[in-house]
Amino acid sequence: MSKAKFSKLLFAMMLVLLLVLAACSGGSDDAEGDGGGDSGDSGSEENNDSEEADGEIYDIADFSPSKEGEAMDGGELNFGLVSDTVFAGTLNFNFYSDVYDSEVIDWFDEALLEVDDTFTYTQEGAAQFEVNEEGNEFTFTIRDEVNWHDGEPVTAEDWAFAIEVIADPDYDGPRYGDVVNLVGAEEYHDGEADSIEGLEIIDDKTLKMTFKQATPSLLSGGIWSYALPKHIFEDIPVADMSSSDAVRENPIGIGPFKVESITPGESVTYTKNEDYWRGEPSLDKVTLKVIAPQTVVQALETGEVDMVDSFPTDQYPDVVDSLTNVDFLGRLDRSYSYVGFKLGTWDDENGKVDMDLENSKVGDVELRRAMWYAVDNDAVGERFYNGLRWNATTLMPSFYEIYHDDSIETPTYDPDMANQILDEAGYEDVDGDGIRENPDGEELVLNYATMEGGDTAEPLANYYIQSWEQVGIKVEKIDGRLLEFNDFYDRIGQQGNDDPDIDVYSAAWSVGTDVDPTGLWGPNVIYNFTRWEDEENTRLLEEGVSPEAMDLEYRQEVYSEWQEYMVEQVPVFPTVYRAELAPVNERVVNWDIRQEGQEILRYEVGVTQDEPVLP
Amino acid sequence: MWKFIVRRLLITFPQIVFLSVLVFIMAQLMPGDALTGLIDPTITQEALEIQRERLGLNNPWYIQYADWVTGLVQGDLGQSYRFKTDVTAVISERLNNTVLLSVVALVFTYLIAIPLGLISGRYNDSPLDSAITGYTYLGFATPIFIFALVILWIFGYQLGWFPTSGSVAPGMQPGTMEYYLSKLNHSLLPGISIALISVVGTVQYLRSEIVDTKQKDFIITARAKGASENRVYNRHIFRNSVLPIAAFFGWEITSLITGTVFVERIFGYPGMGLLFLESIGQRDFSVVTALTLLFGIASILGALLSDIILGMVDPRIRIK
Repeated sequence: MSKAKFSKLLFAMMLVLLLVLAACSGGSDDAEGDGGGDSGDSGSEENNDSEEADGEIYDIADFSPSKEGEAMDGGELNFGLVSDTVFAGTLNFNFYSDVYDSEVIDWFDEALLEVDDTFTYTQEGAAQFEVNEEGNEFTFTIRDEVNWHDGEPVTAEDWAFAIEVIADPDYDGPRYGDVVNLVGAEEYHDGEADSIEGLEIIDDKTLKMTFKQATPSLLSGGIWSYALPKHIFEDIPVADMSSSDAVRENPIGIGPFKVESITPGESVTYTKNEDYWRGEPSLDKVTLKVIAPQTVVQALETGEVDMVDSFPTDQYPDVVDSLTNVDFLGRLDRSYSYVGFKLGTWDDENGKVDMDLENSKVGDVELRRAMWYAVDNDAVGERFYNGLRWNATTLMPSFYEIYHDDSIETPTYDPDMANQILDEAGYEDVDGDGIRENPDGEELVLNYATMEGGDTAEPLANYYIQSWEQVGIKVEKIDGRLLEFNDFYDRIGQQGNDDPDIDVYSAAWSVGTDVDPTGLWGPNVIYNFTRWEDEENTRLLEEGVSPEAMDLEYRQEVYSEWQEYMVEQVPVFPTVYRAELAPVNERVVNWDIRQEGQEILRYEVGVTQDEPVLP
Repeated sequence: MWKFIVRRLLITFPQIVFLSVLVFIMAQLMPGDALTGLIDPTITQEALEIQRERLGLNNPWYIQYADWVTGLVQGDLGQSYRFKTDVTAVISERLNNTVLLSVVALVFTYLIAIPLGLISGRYNDSPLDSAITGYTYLGFATPIFIFALVILWIFGYQLGWFPTSGSVAPGMQPGTMEYYLSKLNHSLLPGISIALISVVGTVQYLRSEIVDTKQKDFIITARAKGASENRVYNRHIFRNSVLPIAAFFGWEITSLITGTVFVERIFGYPGMGLLFLESIGQRDFSVVTALTLLFGIASILGALLSDIILGMVDPRIRIK
């Protein structure tokens, strides 16, 4: 080919490129123009703000968890379910295991029992209850006005039926653990009994449950409070229930909205349930649709959705100035991040942790404590999350207001202190390379496991490694990289095959409605990935759920002691607590993002105008 | 011809068996299983163990494989753990979407590619040709996931001409005209995005074939006979130049089923590619193996189809 042809081609390409670039800049000009136009005369102020935006620090205390106002009659609401994947479509509380499914169910079904802000059952829900003196016998009365969407009343039999299905050996959902505390549930599950002894239907609306052991956990989420319409499911074999049309295509519940139509995995439309027992909902219609995380911001900006179930908080600083048509609600997230130390293995045969401090590189509590002192979690929160995560203190996040003990002093960033502790514990730099050796003078290199995900995972891991290196402790990423989710949990031991090479790991827990931490840090639970146990810990955990702990003050005391003990022993240390943000369009009123002690309930949500507010 | 097809099909069978064994073993080697995502302190370890036992996840791979093949022979692909329903139901839901999207993409691809290729070949080395070739180079260089995002942003969000996610508007009743129009509407933008990028190969093949054919003796003969320029191009040259496109066609049919992961993801379009990716991520093995088998069969049949079409278009290629 001649040179002339090549240059001609190059010219053509340049032309095309030029066109594309021009189109791009045209687009972004437009976007800016729109923003400026709407903000009107406050334009100059905004400029100042956006210049600082990068380094701006936000505080969750400045956000309100709810929003009130005067709603118009009727109206439609568009709800975005933010997910990379479709929702699985198991639309019944008794069978679902996918979190997105529960978001879909929440609109049309609800628990029979309501909880207050400490996650304790109240008498405000669809069912009321009485407890006996010992606290193991509950008598529930379902309100007369509570009906299924097809008009049938909700009966005690429906509730008992749900529990029987869950305890059935053919049941294919994950909730058996929630009912196993009922007297006779295990026998029923093993086929030794025809019915569950602890369930007694007294009359149409009254159900009595007897539990093996009275514990305060029963009152905070320990009772299975979702009914299953027996008149619909009666004839379906238990094994086929979760794949039946009654779950997947025409689900019904007792909630404020009825399912109108379902496009599998993509969207659901609801209409209001005029017969809702609390009163008629304000909205006429709700549409829920799945939107990809990559397009959340655009969907909110164009009013395609009025609100979303979750919003990536790390995007907040970038969009706070441009999303002018949206109010951000916020609250404490019920999760915490932590750094854990591997101190043993899992004993599969006996179903308990097998602690082995001797052979663990991090078996020395002083080393672990020094590593806690070496990291600056407030700086992590500010630098990586603009203040929307912050230094955590104990293993009961401040989310549990009445149990979180903020009087406990926990190590915070102090490298001098870390150095001092290490010096005293005998970790000295023998060979002069700037890295400490262990007290026996042997080289000490710790392997660190952490998960990939998001833009911050890698820099965050590097930050921790550098912080530890600054006090002379050499930590390396295991395999030199971050691990994929499944791989990570396999290797830290979610099935008991702990990878012996891992010494330190970073993970996070989202905690349940019940404050009891036994499920995470008890000696017999596989999720205690540190494989740490000791008598005092076991004692405190048991006391926390003992009948005596039905007394709130006693339970608070026990858990204060436990929080403090964990700070002393450092099998793990919490790093950051988190904030959760939820954007809602300005036209949406009466919405509360809390799951507990809501002041505004779902049926009250409304809109102020027919069309979404645009920026 | 028939002999050839039968022989090809016979070779195909062991290929598929080998493929399925391979997939099964690889699936076993992946860390985690369908229950890994359920790490949740409110769900007890015992409850998960019961589920693992029930699903047979604790069995060695060959027993699981044998179970699977037994089911397969009976036409049962098993249950999806995640969707808690039959794998066939899950797949058929998605298959419709993917076929629709691929047909739309295919139609647009040929609608764009053939005229561009023809013009480019006929007026080669003209500025018009340079512009078209320039576009194809640009298309080769542009990653589809960036391009699709830009298209979505411009036409979906800025101009608002097309829906931005899903395969159908919420609340449509299946079976109505509105429903099908809405489905078509939802597949247009992703379909066009795929077409605009995937035309480049076809355009270039067509162009070079035409440029090549133009100089052949029989074209000179045709001209000498006095055939009009249009006739020369549309009859003599075009027919002899579509060979590579015909060869492509079989493979395009394969993509009808396999879907396109990137585009489906960006447009939130629930098709097969996305299902495959999700099922791997969530370790929903029954779906993964069923899909792999389906994809394997599709690509083997696609290759076969390509050969057959080629044989029909060009007798020289036909195997005796």
